[in-house]
Amino acid sequence: MPGRSLRVPTLRKVAEAWPWWLLLLALLGVRLSKGAGFVDAYALLSRPFWPGSAQSEWLRSAQQLQDQANLQQLQRDNQRLRSLLDLDRNSTGRVSAPVISRDEGGWWQQLELGKGSLDGIRAGAPVLAPGGLIGRVSSVTPTTARVELLTDSGSRLGVWVARVQRHGLLVGQGTPRPQLQFLEKDTGVRPGDVITTSPASTLVPPNLLIGVVQSVNEDLAPAPEATVQLSAPVDAVDWVQVVTR
Amino acid sequence: MGVLHRQRWCGATGLLVPLLTLASPAFLKIDGVAPSWAVLWLLPWALVDGPASGAIAGLCLGLVLDGLHLGQASEVPVLILLGWWWGRIGRRGLPIERSYNLGLLAVLGTLLLGASLMLQLHWLGQLPLPAAGLHSLVAQSLITAFLAPVLCSLQLLRWRRIAELRS
Repeated sequence: MPGRSLRVPTLRKVAEAWPWWLLLLALLGVRLSKGAGFVDAYALLSRPFWPGSAQSEWLRSAQQLQDQANLQQLQRDNQRLRSLLDLDRNSTGRVSAPVISRDEGGWWQQLELGKGSLDGIRAGAPVLAPGGLIGRVSSVTPTTARVELLTDSGSRLGVWVARVQRHGLLVGQGTPRPQLQFLEKDTGVRPGDVITTSPASTLVPPNLLIGVVQSVNEDLAPAPEATVQLSAPVDAVDWVQVVTR
Repeated sequence: MGVLHRQRWCGATGLLVPLLTLASPAFLKIDGVAPSWAVLWLLPWALVDGPASGAIAGLCLGLVLDGLHLGQASEVPVLILLGWWWGRIGRRGLPIERSYNLGLLAVLGTLLLGASLMLQLHWLGQLPLPAAGLHSLVAQSLITAFLAPVLCSLQLLRWRRIAELRS
């Protein structure tokens, strides 16, 4: 008996509302794909308003300055690590990407970039701004990438205090200044110490500048914590570089 | 349900919510915190179109907005609740028109939405500093309350006129 079940009024109404079910299915797709489609459409619409190339050039020159400043430390660490680790870091490249959406002060601290998987960007890739590391790619669509900033409360990153040769965990607080948690009691860290990515890290390139220790709370148990001022101005940067493998 | 959801162009204005969330204009922020565009759109929609339409609109908005931010915290439950609640208010008693009432409803909605996010983030272990959550909650409620009397009034008047014409 074809169509018998459709004689029931409720089922018929449900069947007649098929466009709404399709819409709901599409929205579920958007939810599960973390905004794919919507972010791509936004990137397409906002393309004429993307930041110009001036800051991109500034970013390159700032990057050169930073590279020179880090050269000595890199050479020393490379010599030490070469004997300990066998990690291939020669195949990394960098992709410049414009910031097309910025949310650095609300519930989530994130950026949307105007380049995605089509340009070789993958989830987990480190993101650099003039001044140092600002976060890691959280998810990608073909033409966009979402960056979880180091200040986001879900961000955790192993870091290195070069002066005292100590490791720590940089934990985002949802504020502009993340917290640096140590594993040992007597660290010797003091305000002004420079924080970099861990020389032994396999997730991010080693010795990338992150920020400076602003204050240290030695009274905390079991280990002290420090407040870190990031060196890159997240709220002003229009172009970033994404490290690709 | 009312008649507003049958007008395609009225429903299409909901697309402005994710677009404004992404564009996040700096001049409409308080201390870096943007208003809740979902609340500003959903309030007049639910008041005009009723609880069922409001709840469904809240569900749709929540699904899209959840896709646009980090982590697993969801705005869906509170937006459904707000759509349904505001829809019921719109169906009962005198029509809400005064700016003060609209601002108050928007503040309550934003506070509820923010509190739900705070609880979820706390439960997920992603809110190590409650003061940061409170800062976002207060700042977002304030900027939403400032914008609601202007934006919601305009939407409410326009959509009420369309609903009266179509019905």
